[in-house]
Amino acid sequence: MKTCRVSFQPGGAVVSVSEGTLLLDAAARAGILLDMPCGGQGRCGRCRVKVESGEVTGRENIHLSQEDMAQGWVLSCTARVVGDLAITVPPKVERDRAIVELPSARAAAQIALHWPRYPALRRAYLELTPPSLEDNAPDLERLRRGLRQEANLEGLELDVYQMRELGATLRQDNWRVSATLDASGPGNRLVDLRPGRIKGPLLGLAVDIGTTNVVAYLVNLDNGRLLGKASRMNRQVSCGEDVISRIVFSQREGGVDTLQNLAVDTINVLVKELAQAHGASPEDIGDMVMAGNTTMAHLFLGIPPRYIREEPYVPTATHFPVCTARDLGLAIHPRASVYCVPSVAAYVGGDITAGVLASKLYESDTLSLFLDVGTNGEIVLGNKDFMMTDACSAGPALEGAGMRCGMRAMPGAIEDVRISSLTLEPTIKVIGDVPAQGICGSGLISAVAEMLVTGVISKGGKIDLDYVLSRQPERPRARPGESGPEYVLVWAGEAGGGTDITLSEVDLENLVRVKAAIYAGIMVMAEKSGIPLDTVERVLIGGAFGQHINVEQAIQIGLLPDLPWDKFHFLGNTSAWGAYNILLSKHARSKVEELVAGMTYVELIADNSFMNEFTASLFLPHTDADRFPSVAHLLSR
Amino acid sequence: MPKVEAPVEKWRGRVQEVRLGGDGRKQVTVGGESTLPFLHFDGEIPHRPVIAAEVLDMPPADWAENVVSAWGDALKSPAAWAKKAAQLGADLIFLRLASAHPEQGNTSGAQAAKTVSQVMEATDLPLIVVGPDVAEKDNEVIVAVAEAARGQRLALGTVTDKNYRTIVATAMAGGHAVVAQAPMDMNLSKQLNILCCDVGLPKDSLVMDPTTGALGYGMEYALSVFERLRLAALQGDAMTAMPILCHAGYESWRQKEAKAVEGVPVSWGDQKVRSLLWEQMTALTLLQSGAEIMVLRHPRSMDVVRGVIDRLMARQGPVS
Repeated sequence: MKTCRVSFQPGGAVVSVSEGTLLLDAAARAGILLDMPCGGQGRCGRCRVKVESGEVTGRENIHLSQEDMAQGWVLSCTARVVGDLAITVPPKVERDRAIVELPSARAAAQIALHWPRYPALRRAYLELTPPSLEDNAPDLERLRRGLRQEANLEGLELDVYQMRELGATLRQDNWRVSATLDASGPGNRLVDLRPGRIKGPLLGLAVDIGTTNVVAYLVNLDNGRLLGKASRMNRQVSCGEDVISRIVFSQREGGVDTLQNLAVDTINVLVKELAQAHGASPEDIGDMVMAGNTTMAHLFLGIPPRYIREEPYVPTATHFPVCTARDLGLAIHPRASVYCVPSVAAYVGGDITAGVLASKLYESDTLSLFLDVGTNGEIVLGNKDFMMTDACSAGPALEGAGMRCGMRAMPGAIEDVRISSLTLEPTIKVIGDVPAQGICGSGLISAVAEMLVTGVISKGGKIDLDYVLSRQPERPRARPGESGPEYVLVWAGEAGGGTDITLSEVDLENLVRVKAAIYAGIMVMAEKSGIPLDTVERVLIGGAFGQHINVEQAIQIGLLPDLPWDKFHFLGNTSAWGAYNILLSKHARSKVEELVAGMTYVELIADNSFMNEFTASLFLPHTDADRFPSVAHLLSR
Repeated sequence: MPKVEAPVEKWRGRVQEVRLGGDGRKQVTVGGESTLPFLHFDGEIPHRPVIAAEVLDMPPADWAENVVSAWGDALKSPAAWAKKAAQLGADLIFLRLASAHPEQGNTSGAQAAKTVSQVMEATDLPLIVVGPDVAEKDNEVIVAVAEAARGQRLALGTVTDKNYRTIVATAMAGGHAVVAQAPMDMNLSKQLNILCCDVGLPKDSLVMDPTTGALGYGMEYALSVFERLRLAALQGDAMTAMPILCHAGYESWRQKEAKAVEGVPVSWGDQKVRSLLWEQMTALTLLQSGAEIMVLRHPRSMDVVRGVIDRLMARQGPVS
């Protein structure tokens, strides 16, 4: 057999190996040890090296883009030596980075304004002519005239409280005033009138109220710039983790008020944080757009949501009246208008209509599947000709709640897991440079996918204690725990909290139910619309959580359909993105109203097809292995 | 009259054949159909559905008087019971090791092995042997039985999604088959089959028990599940193609309608007739939705069901 010379840079080590040797083994011969979190199966992409000259086989891998391959990048665990080679081994940091640069973990699309900037809130600085015996029009008339003549604004509306202060305000700085007006309605509602010229920009707030997390964007309405973003766990979580338990809570004495206050409190904390960070006063925020699911919208407005939960699942409203911050107790300008993005139905809310607006699905010929995965999974299938939507209850596991070691995606959360198929030892990636404290939704998907692929768990989601013991007789990672068998991701000694970070079979069951609900929701949609899934041209993943999903692993556990990876696109928090567009453009606001009317809602519980699909999906990746050919192929290895 | 060609359904799939029974002894093969039950014009039905007599390893405590008297003294010993069942024409013995239940004697694995040996001496019919449906005890007694009956190709049970590794591994080691029970859902049955095969069990060593509902107690659900499993198998899904075992006897006889003698409306009629009708109606209905192994209790029901199978297999009409 032919002998080949392989040189490695940096360092210049040269080894002679026989043709067909794995690059990994050649490197080891040269004293270079490459990390193999997946055990050398070409699954994690972390052992990449660059072939500067010479020939290798096994160049292709899903972890390498066309561009990577053209530049000579290969995975040393799959590429084999054919002739003499010159190899460059990148520094470890760089190789580690590859794990976050998986094709599936592409950065989410940047939040952008799709519409001509035309905010409903406007401010006019007026220098009015002081009254005289010749010009003795009343103060209000003078203000109206000024607005008409200097700012071309008609139809001023104000209330008696504002009128009581009008005379003094106008005179305070010698008839120089700044008027802030809300034009979202038919006229121009006076939000704020102050003497003199106001220095700071006009501010608005776009808020996504999720069942688990609340996100707020502070926006400069004068130029459309996104000034800052803040997020917190929804304080309502203390009253129940999902929508249903929230509704149950709301039916208690004073429950609706409690929940309404908690939602508002959460937002007020975010407002304070954002205002402080940008040297603004909360009162400078003169407009707000809120997108949230139907229940969140009801609770935010203090509308009892109980009928959402009771057959036939009817909300009080899908379109909500515009109210003021003062009505709701929000700590922004008391007269700021608060617009809630309309819902489609009880379980397809304003977060989804805002998401569809952000995704521009409605204006494309391309058949797209829009997914918003969170505590609930919502699905929209369509293009410019039609849109169908359904929703399923997924539970809070993907948002880090309801699991023993679950946590939100914040520093200390495990977000990626790789398990070596040889040693069954995990390699974890933690958000921030801190010891692991728990596992977030994306880490959970990742962990379960790896456990499945490496045989730690069966397709039924049960931990195979004997198998783990056979591979790890010394210190097995799988053991019988308090609530059944569990797998230790991080030993107490290496964990931030001082206790083992584990995944129990109960946690696994929990995740399997979540993914089954979402996948079943997708399948029922495909079935009801008569559109086979493989004809879908794009899968748009929205929602606050979506951008963290690793598509490869989400397919491995059967959460996402087994479609080519390049069909998946991450849009980020589409709910907040949609709200941001609506805040900045009246056109976007009228469009979203139009979208709601154009979406057909499919009720999943109207027949038993969802239950059938759900039970079939309670398996990894699915009872019907033919639907996941790429995973079946991987598991057969 | 123009000649009309009757349309024939061409199925891609075929039911998996499963052979039970040891060398030099009576063997039974079930499955192998390439058509729906008894539709001889559509495909092949190489093996007739079979009848297994339900035998306990202890005298039954709560069985109706008329089924107890039908078996008589034979109930006192599983060997005698099995022998009588063979004489009455059973194709298989379904032996339930009830005495191993922690609350019904908690008998040991050694005792189970002894019982099975005695039954095998008394009859050369193939055996299905199941434990008391308590995971730990099932594992204990079935491991012992599998060892004692090595090479006899028993069907061992009951395998569930919570408890399958031990029994499946034991069955593989001893050359046996297993009975896999899932709670009346096509997908759950298929999932359990996949799990068993993932452990390494050959597809020809698996019998499905998709859970039976008796007449008035979910029979139509069972019928639908059996039928959908069978349709999926014929459409080419190998993981739903295992033969189906049906507990018509057990499920019928535990219902009030089969047992109640007093305090029921006169229109219900004589319990002795009613109970038999209950078992037979359940069995005959589910036979036609795909069951290959019909487990029955009463000798008379065994006769009736066998008679219907005879006629349907001989392409004759229903029993007049």
